[in-house]
Amino acid sequence: MSQTKTVENEIKEIIAQILEADPAKITLEARFVEDLGMDSMMALEIVAAIEKKYKITIPEEELMKLASLGNVIEITKRYLNK
Amino acid sequence: MQDKIVITGIGVLSSIGIGKDAFWQALQEGKSGVKPVTLFDTSKLKVKMGAEISDFNPGAILGEKGLRNLDRATKLLLCAGKLALDDAKLEITEENSTSFGISIGTTLGSLWSISEFDKSALRDGPHFVNPAEFPNTVINSPPSQLAIRLKSKGPCATISSGFTSSLDAIKYGIDLIRNKRAQIVLGGGVEEFCEQTYLGFYKVNFLAGVKGPELNCPFDQRRNGIIFGEGSAILVLESEESAKKRGANIYARILGFGTYFYPYAINKYEPQGYGLKKAMRLALDDASVAPFEVDYISAAANSTRDADIIETGAVKDLWGAKAGKVAISATKSMLGETFSASGVLAAVATTGSIQKGFIPATLNYKEKDSSCDLDYVANSARKAKINKALVNAFGPSGSNSCMVIGE
Repeated sequence: MSQTKTVENEIKEIIAQILEADPAKITLEARFVEDLGMDSMMALEIVAAIEKKYKITIPEEELMKLASLGNVIEITKRYLNK
Repeated sequence: MQDKIVITGIGVLSSIGIGKDAFWQALQEGKSGVKPVTLFDTSKLKVKMGAEISDFNPGAILGEKGLRNLDRATKLLLCAGKLALDDAKLEITEENSTSFGISIGTTLGSLWSISEFDKSALRDGPHFVNPAEFPNTVINSPPSQLAIRLKSKGPCATISSGFTSSLDAIKYGIDLIRNKRAQIVLGGGVEEFCEQTYLGFYKVNFLAGVKGPELNCPFDQRRNGIIFGEGSAILVLESEESAKKRGANIYARILGFGTYFYPYAINKYEPQGYGLKKAMRLALDDASVAPFEVDYISAAANSTRDADIIETGAVKDLWGAKAGKVAISATKSMLGETFSASGVLAAVATTGSIQKGFIPATLNYKEKDSSCDLDYVANSARKAKINKALVNAFGPSGSNSCMVIGE
């Protein structure tokens, strides 16, 4: 339980830094592109940062699904446990 | 008949001042930007000095957002662009965006970024490089980022011709206007202060302090190399007609331009200065200006043994017996050798000369070299009415360019 909370906060922090957005605005449902102004370079950067931090590789076909914080946490946890 | 091109806006960041007013004031006061290097450690080197922009705060000029992944050269250029557009009272909008061109000279800008990117790959493995750092590794990144930020949709060019880059970029911009490919061009250059460039110049014995005292003293007997510096500047260029139509303030007119590439050997100045003489002649011809009409030569002299004597020889060749009558000064004595940015910085300085009626000094001139025996406006600025001036740029790998600016 506490491990999940840490991962969620870490990911939120990474995303907040890359999007230069207020962490309060990065809710589980807030959409990166439409609500938080993410562009394609920022998307690549988020993936690279998460892969580097957790030493995982997220396959190409999953990248399209990373539309919100909730999605990112779910996919990261899935590959962390592999 | 070619369109007459004028300068209607100026943005400048230098080691002696940020913004044209501070820059021109500092030139008049004879302020030097040379000081101990702070951006990286020089303790293992024989040399310690450089002309950094110590008070560089891009967030203050651009706002804090969107700068995170941009390197120093890019941020310097974006700042120059903002200052220039504000100075020209221009705004790039959806309607006019295709009428703006960008033409920037830069050569070494991505060295630091390439080095950082490669270090990540070596340290963490190629899979873990940061993709956001990759765009900085290409030389056209600063002008491209400028175009992106300004949403400018006209032509965008990067000119990398070494020491003459920013003058050549200005010429390219002038041609864009004359060929009706852009109405207004942001022309200029940038070079950042970085460890890799410093070490490179150090290793090829180009820096002062390796073979002699660590001084920045163009034309002086003690000169033995450059002090490396950084800077960025952008001129807003347009036709005189365009400027008058929108009631723009005209700082100066670009009367002529000459360029001549004369290959000799890599990193060796051609001793006779054949290329520089040609470039200066071509510029004067293009401007229909005779040497005796020139009030001031903004020299490219950079405190190397070779460049300063070659430029002296070129002036003697063109001015003949009257060579001692024309005022020459080296703003690199204050700004250091800013490489690609040197031409546009000198152009901004010379525009200040025309506007404010002064010739900046050649600093640190104490010991005379008998082969460099012309009027170098030693140590203090001189009040003078400048009608027409020459701005030189040349380097030890063949490129030579010269621009004539007038009231």
